[in-house]
Formats: sequence, structure tokens, C-alpha cells
Amino acid sequence: MKKWFAAAMAVFFLLTASGCAVRDSDPPRFRIVTSFYPMYIMALNIANGIDGVQIDNMAGQQAGCLHDYQLQSKDMKNLESADVFVINGAGMESFLEEVAAQLPDLEVLDSSEGIELISEGGDENPHVWVSITDCIQQVENIAEGLAQADPDHALEYLENAQEYEAKLSVLRGKMHEELDDLPNRDIVTFHEAFPYFAQEFNLRIVQVVNREPDSQPSAKEMADTIRLIRETGVKAVFAEPQYPESAANVIAEESGASFYFLDPAVTGENDPDAYLDAMEKNLETLKEALS
Amino acid sequence: MNAVYNVIDFLLPFEWTEFQFMKNALLAVLLITPLFGLVGTMIVNNKMSFFSDALGHSALTGIAIGVLLGIDNYLASMMGFALIFALCISAVLDSGTSSADTIIGVFSATGLALGIVLLSMNGGFSRYSGYLIGDILTVQPEEIGLLLGILIAVVVLWILFFNPLMLTSINADLAASKGVHVRLIEKMFVLLVAVIVTISIKWVGILIINSLLVLPAAAARNISRSMRSYHGGAVAISMLSGISGLILSYYWGTAAGGTIVLIAAAIFFLTYLLNRLRAR
Repeated sequence: MKKWFAAAMAVFFLLTASGCAVRDSDPPRFRIVTSFYPMYIMALNIANGIDGVQIDNMAGQQAGCLHDYQLQSKDMKNLESADVFVINGAGMESFLEEVAAQLPDLEVLDSSEGIELISEGGDENPHVWVSITDCIQQVENIAEGLAQADPDHALEYLENAQEYEAKLSVLRGKMHEELDDLPNRDIVTFHEAFPYFAQEFNLRIVQVVNREPDSQPSAKEMADTIRLIRETGVKAVFAEPQYPESAANVIAEESGASFYFLDPAVTGENDPDAYLDAMEKNLETLKEALS
Repeated sequence: MNAVYNVIDFLLPFEWTEFQFMKNALLAVLLITPLFGLVGTMIVNNKMSFFSDALGHSALTGIAIGVLLGIDNYLASMMGFALIFALCISAVLDSGTSSADTIIGVFSATGLALGIVLLSMNGGFSRYSGYLIGDILTVQPEEIGLLLGILIAVVVLWILFFNPLMLTSINADLAASKGVHVRLIEKMFVLLVAVIVTISIKWVGILIINSLLVLPAAAARNISRSMRSYHGGAVAISMLSGISGLILSYYWGTAAGGTIVLIAAAIFFLTYLLNRLRAR
């Protein structure tokens, strides 16, 4: 019996010991931590190819928007050694106060500074990056912030940013060209990610179903939405690929509208072009949905 | 299916049946609630209410396994895991090392924690949180067909095996002496509970599925005086709370599952008071 117990304890200690792995011997010169996926993609572009820079994404690439995000101990560890913490701001990082209290010296870079926020019922909508214009502004803010924090490479950050902004700007022009003349401007969306996007492309969001994405809409909300779609003649209902689409499907089917996915580029591959690709896809979707 | 919709339109020409999703939800409720009422009687008899709760929790692990295996339809992985899980609980219970509530508690916690760990590994837990409260409003016609099949199967099983089931639950030794395969009957019932919990979890929700199994039977037990009225009462209370909960949830704009459970709970306390008054 004693032997068994000793063996069990040994296994237990071995398992815990894996948590004591030695730290990476060669620390990066400058560490950027981004709060979540859209910020990470921006940072990837801005810091592309700059010597000694390491970029880490705090929330995983599948975490989506940071609604109710629970800080984990590894996040704090991650932030402790960060030179800059790039956030979206506008209330997206609801845990920021907690972080600031524990790590008062952490350099926080708020990328949505200077962007005019849309507020709904007193709450500011944080999904600014979904509008390409605001995304460009965020890239600009981040690049300037990084240039200040890492002055030796300031020029490189700004050049990279300019290059990325140019790509974004071309895409924006293309989207305007192809979307501005489409006849239907009224849409229904699930979750509240699209007001900035709609503003940019002059779409009218008739109704947002299920503002809080982690629950299902109630029967009343669904029925009201179906009636509204029938009355207003909305042609398309948009859900996000990050959340279950069954309720959106039901609403679309019963109201006679079509159902599509619109991607706020909040999850995906760790690829610098992920945002551009997502928007290209949205463009194709919208062309089909609104014509 | 259209014929059924027309019947509902004819019988219930109200605002809440205007849309097809409410008709589907109503049909699903009409199938799930008698099923739960019936099976719930035996769960309450056998003091297994905690067991069905553990099975509900295990569904989360089943979903996680499905996600990891890349299966689109989680029903298969949930069902596979729930059946294994049920048999494991049953086997450990038979070994008699700890009391039943301890063993089931251990399994219940394990099933839930394993599910959370596996699902949060990819950081996308919010995708699956719908399973916690269920979503009867998105039930599809083919799924209603599946529920109908299950209900028929359970009723047939009930008719065929009612006596041995009942005898086993009252006194296992007596049942064995009468030539009943006690172990077999017990295992069969455990698997049956696993199947119906797994199939309905998507619409009823992990957090409240057990209340729907236990409350109607417990309420019926308060007021019934015979086996027949116990079963009939459980099915009736279950259906009543199901239908009225669905209707109220429509007008109140609340979650259907929770509203149904609240009605069932209210009925339970009502029957409890009736029972007390009668005992005086």
C-alpha cells in the first residue's frame, strides 16, 4: 500500500514538474502582446520583418470577441514580460482595469484612440476594426505607438504600416465601387459586430438579433424579427461564422430572406493577410446578398 | 409535416403558433415531455435523480470529443460517451465501494470538468454554451421524427418490461427470486436513460434537463395513490408544464427551457401543499 502511494506521488510530482520548464534562454529584444485576434493581425503587418520583435496573441486565435473573457494565469505571465500591450480599447478589454492594477508599469497601447465611437443605449460598441477606415486608423495608432516605444526601429514600423494601410485602402475603394450601387441596403445581423461596417458602406441595420452572442434569442425576439423582415422587405440575414447559426437559419427560412455568413475577422489563421481575405470574402457575400 | 402544421393552425389559431419554429417547438415539447414524465417516474422510484444529472453533464464531454474528432453531428459522440459513462457508473456502483451519491458525484464532476477542459483547449467555449440552456426553438422536422421514434420505442419497452422494472425497483432480491434478471433490467434502464438524455439535451439543455426528468414525477408522487395515477399524473404534469412554459416564454420573451422547469417546480410545490393538507 505504501509503495503504491509513493509511486502515485512520484507520478504526481513528475506531472507538476512539467510546469517548471526552463525559460527560453534567448529573450526577444522587444515583445508585443496583443489582446485578441484582430489586433494580432494588425501587429503582424506592422512589425513584419523587424529584427528581434516577438508578437504574442493573448487570447487564442479561436477566442473571438473578448466578451466575458476570463483572464488566465498564463495571460498575466504573458503580459508581465511584455514591452507593449496592444489593445482594441472602446471597452472590448473589460479586464483591463484588473491588468492595470496588477501590472502598473505595463505600456498599454489603445488602438481605437481618436475614432468616433457608435454608442447604443449608453454602451459604446467596441467592434471598430470591422470598418476598414477605422481599421486603417487603428493601424496608424499602433504603428505610432510602437515607433515611440521602440524608437530604434521607428521608421520600419511606420513604413510597414504605410504599406498595409495602402492595401487596406485599395480594398476599401474596391468594396465601395462594387457595393455602392447595389439596390438593397437593409440588413438584419446577429450579434452587434457590424455597425461600423454598415456605416462605412451605407448599409442600414434594421435589427440586431441576439446582441449577447452566447445565448440563443427568445421566441418573442425571433417572431418579432420575422415580422419585421416581412414588413420591411429585408433580403438578407447575416450571422457570424464564430457563433452557431441555427436561429439565424430559422429566421431566414420563415421570413423568406436569405441567410449568409458575414465575417468580422475575429478568428482565423495567423496569417498577415487574414483581415484582407475575410473582407474580400465579405465583399463576395454582400454582392450576392444585396443585388 | 404540412398536414400537422395545418392541424395546429386549425386547433390553435393564436399568435404564438403563427410561425413554423413555434409549431416545431410545440411538437417537440409534445413528444419530449411525456417521454420525460414516464421515464422520470422510474428515476424517482429508483432514487436515481442524481444519476441522470451526471449523464447530462457528460454530454459536454461527448460534444468535446465530437469536436476533437471533427464530427459535425455531435449526437454520435455524445451518445457513445454517455453509454460508456452510464455503464461505468453502473459498474462502479455495483462494486459497492462507496455510497451511490458519492460515486455519481465523482463521475458527474469528472464529466463536466473534462468537457470544459477539452472545449476550452481551443479557446472557443462560447460556441457551445448554447448546449447549457438548450434551444428548443431551432428543432427541425427530421429531429421531431427522431423524437417520435424514441417515444414509441420507450412506450413499447414500458409495456413489455413494466413488471420486472417495477419489481426490481421495489425489491431487487424479491425480483431475483421471481426469476427476473435484475442486473440486466437495471443496465437496460440505465442505458435507456442515457439515450433519452443524450437525444434531448440539445433542445432542453445540460443545466435543466434533469429538472425536467425529476420534477413532474416528484410532483405526481405527492398526490397519486396508485401506480396508474402516478404514471398518468407524471405524464400529464410534464406535458402541462411543457406546453404552458413554451407559451409563456413566447409572451414573456424568456428562455423556453427555464420557463418550463419553473412551471413544473411551481406544480411540485402546489402538489406538496395539497399532500400536506390532505395528511392533516
